[in-house]
Amino acid sequence: MATIREKGYSHWDGKLTERRFPWWPITRTGILLAFRKKRFKFVFAGSFVPAVVFLVGLYISERLEDFKAFLQGSDRLLNIDPNYFKTYFTNDSLLFLIVLVLGFAAAGLIADDLKHNSLQLYFSRPLRKKDYLLGKMSVIFFFVLILTAVPGLVLLIFKLIFVGSFKFFLDYPWLPLSILGYSALLTVFFAFYVLFLSSLSKNTRYVTILVFMIYIFSDILFGILSGIFHEPAMALFSIKANLQQAGAFLFGQKLPFAVPAGWSFLILAGICVLSAAVLNRKIRSVEVIK
Amino acid sequence: MSIEVKDLSFRYGKIVALDGVTMKLGEGAVGLLGPNGAGKSTLLRILLGFLVPERGEGKVLDYDIRRDQAMIRRSVGYMPESDCFIAGMDAVTFTAYFGELSGMPRQEAMKRAHEVLFYVGLGEARYRLLDTYSAGMKQRLKLAQALVHDPKILFLDEPTSNLDPNGRNEVLELIRDISSNKSIQVLLSSHILADIESICQSVVILNKGRLAAEGRMADLRAINYSLFELRLKGDGEAFRSDLESRGCRVDEMEDKLIKVYMPEKSDRMDIFRAASRTGVQIRYFVKSRTSLEDLFAGVVGVD
Repeated sequence: MATIREKGYSHWDGKLTERRFPWWPITRTGILLAFRKKRFKFVFAGSFVPAVVFLVGLYISERLEDFKAFLQGSDRLLNIDPNYFKTYFTNDSLLFLIVLVLGFAAAGLIADDLKHNSLQLYFSRPLRKKDYLLGKMSVIFFFVLILTAVPGLVLLIFKLIFVGSFKFFLDYPWLPLSILGYSALLTVFFAFYVLFLSSLSKNTRYVTILVFMIYIFSDILFGILSGIFHEPAMALFSIKANLQQAGAFLFGQKLPFAVPAGWSFLILAGICVLSAAVLNRKIRSVEVIK
Repeated sequence: MSIEVKDLSFRYGKIVALDGVTMKLGEGAVGLLGPNGAGKSTLLRILLGFLVPERGEGKVLDYDIRRDQAMIRRSVGYMPESDCFIAGMDAVTFTAYFGELSGMPRQEAMKRAHEVLFYVGLGEARYRLLDTYSAGMKQRLKLAQALVHDPKILFLDEPTSNLDPNGRNEVLELIRDISSNKSIQVLLSSHILADIESICQSVVILNKGRLAAEGRMADLRAINYSLFELRLKGDGEAFRSDLESRGCRVDEMEDKLIKVYMPEKSDRMDIFRAASRTGVQIRYFVKSRTSLEDLFAGVVGVD
């Protein structure tokens, strides 16, 4: 190790400023640390597969002359309408890939700080609890939005480019709002869901397992209960089904389960409120043992 | 006064951690001394705004501890007792990160991180992942992150814990340099008396959440009692009982050296009178300079 005091101490002549967004360094660092994990880069790249598949589908549909061999009497290969967008946003693979990306990138956001006692370092700076949480949540916002809102808007723009007119936009002027609204819902829900689980353990691996297990187990539970009771309301036990219900509602499409969409919104909101309460309790500058 | 608290009280559930502590701390290095559970870390945490006091008030650099927490945290560098770092980061990113969170511009924070890492002796290791750092290196890293924003006061919570003697001396030398030459006030919390004795000009002793003693080290040594060291021939027990009945504290060391702490107003001749009464011979007698250890034993009541 180098000997102590290789250089003398000098005072810093700058001035500390109050940041407008004090949480931003936390977000930027969280995103950069995620990309330092080798496996995550592959997972993240792979999570764009659904977007690429839907983009290809959109291209083929609008360039029928080039793909007539695929047509069997139909005048269209795919019907590009709000349902197409809803299908992109609520398909099982996209939702699972979001969970996968967050399992790798966000499970340790709070768990690592708890494990390495770094909360006290954060709170010895002029940061409030909400700045800390917003900084961590924004990491999740980034990853979820990049898999939802960005591809959704890109698909819409490419649709307009391929068609060469604004007719589609004029037919469904609310579609961009649906895309943004559902992306926001997914973002907020997953931010609370993952941070809540991340605050429960000091072990990132356990948190990653929890993130997957609860998501998958809730769906399995739905399958078992609906098999027993034959009740569509059992879909409310599944995180995935609730997200799909909310998606269908926001895109103005037929609900996949015969249950009012409001119930799904209530359940998702309930999970967020519960998570916020736990986070508020768990995030402290010092661990107080009573 | 840089730190001033009045009637400060705090409890963890039913356990009283601080009970009506009132004190004023001036410039220079101040030692915060006390046995485990005395309330040292709790006091630091209240001063930083981590914990809200149940009763009382306080100011750090004229900022109110209840209202102006952000300003206090901007002016204070805190080195916690426990190991703390962020996995997957190198030292320079880590230090710059906390500089930035303190309100430094990003580039300035990065430049400053290099400087303080060189200062604490981690210059060569600044690009190494923190996960691979030894205990001593982590201790220096904590000091670097506390210094990065050039604080006016440093709160150091057990800065030499987990260090080997060499590492301990180096960190102490660094703290001495900061407190004496760099116009940064240091509040050093420790239960290692030698650390405080070697660095601090004044000391605050806490015991069971209460203020046991406070003041300049030299003044505290002089007041309260005189210390004499002696060796005896004869029945030490009777001699000891005689002195204790006159308000003295008598400790026998392993090498048969006897330390007698006499109340300030007592006369040293009382020791010889006690020897005469109990029929023992005093073979060695010297007035000793009281160490912080003696002071601590006197006010806290432990060896």
